[in-house]
Amino acid sequence: MTDLQTAAEAGTVGIERDRPAQRPRRRDKVFGFGFVVPLLAFITLAFNLPLLLTAAWSLVDPVSGSLTIAHYVEFATSSIYWTVIARTARVAFIVSVLCAVIGYPLAYWMTLLSRRGQVIALAIIVTSFWVSILVRTYAWIVVLGNAGLVNRALQYLGVIDRPIEFLYGELGVIIGMVNVLLPFMLLPLYAAMRQVDPRLRAVAYTLGASQGEFFRRVFFPLSLPALSASFVLVFILSLGFYITPAILGGGRVPLIANMLDILINRFPRWNLASAMSVVLLVLTLVLYGVYQRLRSRRGAASGQG
Amino acid sequence: MSSERLPIQGGSRVASSALAVTGSAVLAFLALPIIIVVPMSFSSAESLRFPPPGFSLRWYEAFFGDPQWLEAAVNSLVIGVTSSSLALILGTLAAYGLVRGTFLGRSALEANFIMPMVIPPVIIAVALYIFFAKLSILGAYWALIVAHIVVATPYVVLLMSLAIRAFDIRVEQVALTLGASHMQMLTRVLLPNILPNATAAWLFAFVISFDEVVVTLFVAGTHFTVPKRMFNQLVLQINPTITAIATLLIAFSIIAVAIGAWLTKGAGLQSGEEKG
Repeated sequence: MTDLQTAAEAGTVGIERDRPAQRPRRRDKVFGFGFVVPLLAFITLAFNLPLLLTAAWSLVDPVSGSLTIAHYVEFATSSIYWTVIARTARVAFIVSVLCAVIGYPLAYWMTLLSRRGQVIALAIIVTSFWVSILVRTYAWIVVLGNAGLVNRALQYLGVIDRPIEFLYGELGVIIGMVNVLLPFMLLPLYAAMRQVDPRLRAVAYTLGASQGEFFRRVFFPLSLPALSASFVLVFILSLGFYITPAILGGGRVPLIANMLDILINRFPRWNLASAMSVVLLVLTLVLYGVYQRLRSRRGAASGQG
Repeated sequence: MSSERLPIQGGSRVASSALAVTGSAVLAFLALPIIIVVPMSFSSAESLRFPPPGFSLRWYEAFFGDPQWLEAAVNSLVIGVTSSSLALILGTLAAYGLVRGTFLGRSALEANFIMPMVIPPVIIAVALYIFFAKLSILGAYWALIVAHIVVATPYVVLLMSLAIRAFDIRVEQVALTLGASHMQMLTRVLLPNILPNATAAWLFAFVISFDEVVVTLFVAGTHFTVPKRMFNQLVLQINPTITAIATLLIAFSIIAVAIGAWLTKGAGLQSGEEKG
């Protein structure tokens, strides 16, 4: 903490030093760099360096200290890790598809609501978004448990005799993850849909299109880039999910993040954990690049509209 | 938008109501955790039953009467206040440099500063765990605060960049032309003007830190925060005290974010898009 304060003070000193003598010269090539120095120093030490070292440790043999790709080979050849990686990819894909399938109609419906209705819907989404993931995950234990709301309702209605085991399996994990990640689908999608020029609708109707035709041939194609961008975003976030699988999966549905926890805390295999982190990091960054490209395409589409 | 909408033709009325039903159902699904947890926290039942059989404040008493939970709450507050304050200082200075600076590589630096928000928290957790362990500072209180600053700073950089970009640069130039130093301009012209945004950024950073679980679980050592204790309890057993804590956390998040959104007049809602 004291180091940080010193760093912050050092930054202030830096600002004084950078100040041009008399008047500010805006064209000065290094103007403003002093302001960035404190955070740059902090992020370099507390974030970039640990990440770089993680990459380095993933290539080191813990016993001899020599360079090795054995940890990566272990992933590629071990069925345990493949199972976890395959499950993570499958769960992430299902969660993203479900978010898209139930998120799209809601976002579209919201654009048709009155101003007041839109504000209420947004308030619900944003509230749910800001409530702690732990709280939201916890609620699903109550709702989906064997004596939970859903099971008791189904039994009361006579649909089932014995409770359905939602929890401690993939189904519960997926329901919980969709609930947590849905706002990441809804907020950008709704924002993009609102950018579609409303005059297009009037033009389409004037030219004789039905509501369905307008949706299929004008609205949906225009919202597609935003939909795919949000799909990728939810997929990325699912890949690194830890809390929901740990609680709703009861340890039976470990995803990559839970595997990392086991590798670090249960049987210390730090180099292997580092290698797995690097794989997850590279995957995340590649997909994030895709996400950014899709987002900029969204910008272009709304620009035309 | 909706005002431009033409009257819907008869044939699509079914489609419209189907859309309305689907939309409301999805909204209900989204709100369900809150709708369930809040009433249950006031339940008099020993077990988790919904609807609650009677009203009682016993789970709140259980929370406030438990020294371990109170210790976790104090830790969360201290870590949250310290890390969000330091994140605000570091992030605001950096945001100013990024927005007003003329040096090369600003967008690369900004991308680097935003990175902790983009990559999965578990990667940061693993990297910091091994890094802190090798430096023998794993489990140190201040190291935990450092980890929280890493996680909270991107939000400050984003929000403050928006605020500074929206502030008229000519006001700054006038102050500098009239002989103010950069530091004087910053503290006496710019900061008073963007104080609402700075307060909002601090609040968001505080909520992020207060909610942070994954990184905390890895690097906290023997220290407990509210989310860490909650997580440990949830993995082991179902304890109704958690409903009370969950309700307090819901109220806390909603109030903090509502104040933040009000201070930035809604800008904070959009920034929420990127919460990792």
